[in-house]
Amino acid sequence: MLEPLPQEFWSRRTATHLLQRAGFGGTPEEQEAFYQLGKDQRIEGAVDSLLETSEDWSSLSWPEWMQSEVDPNGEAYASQGIRRRDFNEWYFKVLLQGQPLAAKLLKFFIDHFAVDSVTIGQYYRWIGMFRYTETLRKHAAGNLAGEDAPFEGDERLVPPGHYGNFKTLVNHVSWSLGMIRTLDLYRSNRGNVNENFGRELLELFAMGIGSEYSDDPEYTEEDVAVAADAFTGRKFYNFRYYPDENRYTNPAGDRNPPLPPASVWQNRNSQDRSTKGPFYGYATTPNGSPIIDGDDIIDIIFDTDRCAKHLSWKLWRYFASPNPSKELVQALAYKFRDDHDYEIRPFLRDLFLSKEFYEDSVVSTQIKDAGDYFVCLAKQLGVPLPTRDAMEDVMQQLGYEVIFPPSIAGWPEPHGPGNKWLATGAMVFRMNMPSIFTHHNYAVFTSGRTRNSMDEFPEADWSVIAPKELRRKEQFPLLLEQLQKRFMPNRELRKSQVRTLFDHYSSVSEELGELEGVKELVRLILALPEYQTQ
Amino acid sequence: MSTKLNRRDFVSKSIWGATASMTLPGFLQQTLFNLDARAQSLPSQGGEGPIILLMEMAGGNDTLNTLIPYTNSIYRGARPTIRLGTEHNILKITDKDGPSVTGNNEPLALHPNLSNFKQMWDDGELGIINGVGYPNPNLSHFKSFDYWHSAEPNSIPKDGWVGRYLDNQCDGCGATTGIFINRRPTLAFQSSSVSSPTVTFQNPQFFNWRDRQGLGREKSLEGLYRNLIGLDHGADDGISGDDDTLAYVQRSAHSAMISTESVQQAMDRGGELLNPSWPNNGLANSLKTIAQLIKGQSETSVYYARQGGYDTHNNQILTGDPLTGRHSDLMQTLNGALGAFVDEMKAQGNWERMVILTFSEFGRKVIENGSLGTDHGAAETLFVMGGRVAGNQYYGLYPDLAADARVSRNSMDFNVDFRTVYRSILEKWMGVPASAMPAIFPSPPVDFTPLDIINPL
Repeated sequence: MLEPLPQEFWSRRTATHLLQRAGFGGTPEEQEAFYQLGKDQRIEGAVDSLLETSEDWSSLSWPEWMQSEVDPNGEAYASQGIRRRDFNEWYFKVLLQGQPLAAKLLKFFIDHFAVDSVTIGQYYRWIGMFRYTETLRKHAAGNLAGEDAPFEGDERLVPPGHYGNFKTLVNHVSWSLGMIRTLDLYRSNRGNVNENFGRELLELFAMGIGSEYSDDPEYTEEDVAVAADAFTGRKFYNFRYYPDENRYTNPAGDRNPPLPPASVWQNRNSQDRSTKGPFYGYATTPNGSPIIDGDDIIDIIFDTDRCAKHLSWKLWRYFASPNPSKELVQALAYKFRDDHDYEIRPFLRDLFLSKEFYEDSVVSTQIKDAGDYFVCLAKQLGVPLPTRDAMEDVMQQLGYEVIFPPSIAGWPEPHGPGNKWLATGAMVFRMNMPSIFTHHNYAVFTSGRTRNSMDEFPEADWSVIAPKELRRKEQFPLLLEQLQKRFMPNRELRKSQVRTLFDHYSSVSEELGELEGVKELVRLILALPEYQTQ
Repeated sequence: MSTKLNRRDFVSKSIWGATASMTLPGFLQQTLFNLDARAQSLPSQGGEGPIILLMEMAGGNDTLNTLIPYTNSIYRGARPTIRLGTEHNILKITDKDGPSVTGNNEPLALHPNLSNFKQMWDDGELGIINGVGYPNPNLSHFKSFDYWHSAEPNSIPKDGWVGRYLDNQCDGCGATTGIFINRRPTLAFQSSSVSSPTVTFQNPQFFNWRDRQGLGREKSLEGLYRNLIGLDHGADDGISGDDDTLAYVQRSAHSAMISTESVQQAMDRGGELLNPSWPNNGLANSLKTIAQLIKGQSETSVYYARQGGYDTHNNQILTGDPLTGRHSDLMQTLNGALGAFVDEMKAQGNWERMVILTFSEFGRKVIENGSLGTDHGAAETLFVMGGRVAGNQYYGLYPDLAADARVSRNSMDFNVDFRTVYRSILEKWMGVPASAMPAIFPSPPVDFTPLDIINPL
């Protein structure tokens, strides 16, 4: 299993599929260039080009009001709405402008490690959300620095590790203000334990439950209790409190490195330091030391088959297809844990090179989630983001409000096997929405509202999307081919659909001109069920 | 209530008692194409049959602080800071104590914010089902909800209990037989047959085909969509036979196409609500939409609403005052929204058609945690209300708070399986024959005797 795809199977179809899944697709020109790259430099060359991360990815700055080390809420709580939209815009800018694979991974992490800005609370909301997302963003970029990942705060708290390593990522998440607030860690003390984080660490972040993809034993309620005991006493400082006693010499040799505001710390008095266990059948950690704190629990978890399978299954579902076989999950799991020690990008490299990734049961079997849907659409149209107000409206309707996950399990809530994202209401919106770009049709979501204006959605360059020489009625097959390549490569249209599109294109072109015909055509293509898949 | 059936109802509607036994089992044979054709040719005359409203309280409601055993020493001892007692103006149920597993009757009181619940109890319109759960309770939100939604605990669920009910009993019911007011669908509505005649949307205003206003092209747009998604090709509905993903989206598009019109019609017919005073919050808005659809004579028989936020690991109360904090706020929202809804139903004359069932994925542990909150538990209390509910009565037994169901910090054991509650509503209220139960509940609990929760006519 997981043999590399033979070079002779590289085709425009496989190239487009890879470009779509490892990122957000590409224009017809980008698709062609990527196909040629794979031909010239073998498939490995094409895959490696996707794995490269540029410096741009890690230099997108926070909004100005977040950059100073003062309480970002300042004196005014009134501007929460603007800050919310700023954050939303920042996130989608990262997705749209960032290196595609890193952006795709960030979107995965945002879902896998969902934190809720409401629970983080008004006072810590923005420092919590930005710092948290920044941590995820660095992990999405991979081991760019090629050295130990610096931890934003007291480095002594976390074991050494790299950005881009799933185990290190879980460790960083467990020490993040965002998670400590979201899942009540700061209120979990020795003898007075709150199990919220312990439970979700096992269920959602690492081990998973059920027998859908793994026959390994499940963890027990006792294991939840042990994990909860181990993660006690994790606290954070107030914004304006810079504790002298916490100053120390960091690994780089700096004396008394300043800690960022609202840094996290370990309260030894409220930490349960007792020796624990057994945990999931382990009497000690894998290296034989006693089980005492959260790091030890994470060490054990990442040693188990169940964890390796759960994470591989989730990554496969996200990048490939909804229902991988147990055999495939096992093969992936051993690769992830044993060959790559949970390094994400090297694992994804194997995944993108594997024969299984290109099977018919994988190509075009995903329903775009709301993030994919919107980012792909913007890329295909070649437009920048709409204004932050418009973005917020769109994402509300699509059900993807990134600071308000529907639950700690992210988007959507799991509904058993398969990926069932689309509510009927969301489907209606997805069929309506493209006309905002093609026709500035704000009626889609602005009944009774006056906030949106005509210039909020940037105009696409129609001469690129539908070159003038292809707009004559006689050229329709060529025009349609061009549009299909751009908007839904790897999908065929039925004859009856082509006929309807042609009839409508001809009549609108005659009545209102070729440009209007093109816009109508694009709008209808984007409303097709076929467009929702990738 | 009226049980008259006109001819069309008689032919097309099988869920309502008398005609149930005359139908072939199976929505299975019905294609969306037929549904659509029917919707086109027979504009809705409006429903007059029974209605269920499923009221989901997501996150795990702490029913010990919802229906309070205020004299129970284990309760008081286990919750030194978050317990509610006489000093908090709890709404004592003075006319009868709740039968308990321990054999002693338990004096019970409703949360001080549940005034409308108390009123319905006093009026005989609210029944209380204690000790509800299922064997081997799973304390994961997501697994446990999967079990409640599928009614198949301890399995990998594939479809929902409402979906199976509609598949089985609803041949010819129309395209909007189940409506969930939410952004994301629920597994409870999931059907494994060709199509599930249910819809999920948040805001009815946007649940419509929209073209630039004033161009008069809205109708032509709808026609184009129908054509492009294959809805007007009787012989070939365009739904992919070999591509499950595409077929799923195609069905979503079909279902959206068919249901928007009937929803819009019902909303238009419904117009202004009769109760002028509704609270302003998400749940109340959902219930308002449902009330308007019912007023507009929607044919829908199953409505579903959701209130989140019950995962009260912390700040269930605020320090020193159990009447403030998250749980108290949730109770207030629930009480206000449901109260307004019930008033509206009464004003519409539809209260006699309505049964409301509240449920959560689990209750919470008896012993409070260190954060002024409670962790995940097992058994819970359900409320069932409606004009014809056999109210002012307890069903099931109050659990034994001392019984240690799970590890060190105890939660409670169930004594009524939730599938029995579902069955009771389908059988006693919707008139589903007992013979249909094996298809709707493929893995029934050991004790599957329906509760007499509905007053006979």
